[in-house]
Amino acid sequence: MRTFFSSFRRTPYQSFASIIILFFTLLLALFFFNLVSFFYGVLGYVETRPQVIAYFNVETTDDKVLEIKKQIENSGKTSSVVYVSKKQALEIYKNLNKDNPLLIEMVSADILPASIEIYAKRPEYLGQIADYLNKQSVIDEVNYQKDIVSRLLAITTALRQISVFVFSFLILITIIVLMTTTAFKIAVRKDEIELMKLLGASNWYVRKPFLIEGIAFGVISSTLAFLVFFGIFFYVKPYLTNYLLGIPSLPFLGWGQYGVTVWPPSINFVIANYFGIALFGGMIGLIGNYIATSKYIK
Amino acid sequence: MIQFDNVSKKYPLGNSALEDAAFFIDKQEFVFFVGPSGAGKTTILKLILKQINPSSGSIFVNDVDIADKKFHDTLKLRRSIGMIFQDFKILFDRNVFENVALSLEIASAGKNSIKKEVEEALSTVGIIDKKLMFPVQLSAGELQRVAIARAIVGGQDIILGDEPTGNLDPKTSWDIMKIFKKLESDKTILIATHNVDIVNSFKKRVITLDGGKITADEKKGGYHL
Repeated sequence: MRTFFSSFRRTPYQSFASIIILFFTLLLALFFFNLVSFFYGVLGYVETRPQVIAYFNVETTDDKVLEIKKQIENSGKTSSVVYVSKKQALEIYKNLNKDNPLLIEMVSADILPASIEIYAKRPEYLGQIADYLNKQSVIDEVNYQKDIVSRLLAITTALRQISVFVFSFLILITIIVLMTTTAFKIAVRKDEIELMKLLGASNWYVRKPFLIEGIAFGVISSTLAFLVFFGIFFYVKPYLTNYLLGIPSLPFLGWGQYGVTVWPPSINFVIANYFGIALFGGMIGLIGNYIATSKYIK
Repeated sequence: MIQFDNVSKKYPLGNSALEDAAFFIDKQEFVFFVGPSGAGKTTILKLILKQINPSSGSIFVNDVDIADKKFHDTLKLRRSIGMIFQDFKILFDRNVFENVALSLEIASAGKNSIKKEVEEALSTVGIIDKKLMFPVQLSAGELQRVAIARAIVGGQDIILGDEPTGNLDPKTSWDIMKIFKKLESDKTILIATHNVDIVNSFKKRVITLDGGKITADEKKGGYHL
C-alpha cells in the first residue's frame, strides 16, 4: 500500500492518466453492458408474449371460436393456439384492475370479447395468419407484432457487435496507455529496481508493486465509473419509468428466479454490476501492467 | 571461498576488462583490490555478484562455478553477498530502518526477524539512534553506514565494497574502515579502493591490477604507486 501511494506521489500525472482512461473505458463498458442486458430482457419478454391475438365479436358463439381455432391449428403454421373465453377475459380484466373496484363493477363477461392467442412457428407466418383472421366476419380485431421479435433480435445483435468492437478498441487503447505510463514509472524507479536486483530480488518481487498498482487503478476507476453511471441512471430513472410504462420486470438472462432483474434494476443486479466491473477493471489494470513489466523489467 | 581460474572479460567491441585473472580467497580473508581506474577492480566484483559473465574461465563461490552456463541460482548467490557501493545506492523515500530491511524483505524474512536483525545491523555500524531518519537527514558517512548495515543484515558471508570510501572525507573513511575491521572476524571482505593510506595501514592482502591484469598479489601488502 505504501509503495502504491509512493508511486502515485512520484508520478501523479501518469497515475491520473491511467485512472482517467480506465474510468472512461469502464464507464462505457457499464453503459453497453446494461443496454445490451436491457435489450435481451425486452427480447425475452416479447418472445413470451402471444404473437397474434384475435378478438371475436361479443356475440360470437364458443363453437364458432373453437372452429376458427381448429382451422388455424390445422394450418401447420402455429406452435400453439390458446383460447381465452369471455369468463377468462373477465378474470384477466379483474386482475388488471384489482385496485379499482369501480371499473370492475362496470364490466361483465358479456361485454368482453373472447380471443385466441397464437404463437407462430416462424415469424413470416405471422402476416399470413393475421390476413386469414382479418377475413373472418366474426373477428372484430387482430393484433400482431409483425416482425418485432426479429427486429429486436437484429437490434440486440447489432448492439452487441458494436459494443464488442468499440470495447475491444477501448481496451486496446487503455492497455497501451497503461503500458506507457507504467514504462515511465519503471524508468523513474530504475535505480531502485537495479538495487533490488543486486540484492537478489526476483523479477516477481520487482514486478509485484506494479501489478498491484494496476489492479488498484482498475478497482478505483471501476468504482468511480460505477458511481457515475448509477448516479446518472438513478437520476433519470423516474423519466425512464414513465417512458417504459407497461414493461414489466425484465430478468437478467436466466437469473430472474434469483431476483436479478435488469428492469427495474434489482439491488442484486446493481451489486453484480459493481463486482463485475471491479473485477473487469482490475483485470485490465493487471494485464496492462503485466505486459509493461514483462517488457521493461528483465 | 572465492576462486578465479583464468578469468577473462572482453566486451563486444573488443576492449578487455580482465585478462587471465587467477586467485583464491579463503574464508574470512580481508583483501584489497587496488589499481588505477580501468584496471579491472570493479569488473572482479561485478563478476562475483554475477552482474556480468566472464568471456572465459571459471569463478567459484563457495565451491560452485557461477560462470557455468548451468548455474541459474543468481538470486541465492546475490542474497549471500553483501555489496557496498561508492554512491551508497540508498532509497531516499525510505527511512534508515526500511533501507536496511530491504535485503531481508527480498529474502522473504518474517517481520519479527526483520526487526531484530535490522536493529542488530544498525547497532554494529553505530547508527541505531537514527533508524527512523530519512536519507536526506544523514551525512555521507552515515549513508555509507546504512549501506554497510544493508550489506551485513542477512548474515552474508561475503562483503564486497566498490570504493566504499570514494565519496568520503579522510576521517569518515577511517570510521567506515573501522567497521570493516570489526566485521573481518567472521566475514570474507573484498574491497576495491584507491585509498593509499587505508591500504597501507591495514596490512592486509593486496591484489594489484593494471590494464585488466593482476600484477601483484601480496599477503601483507601495500598500495605501490
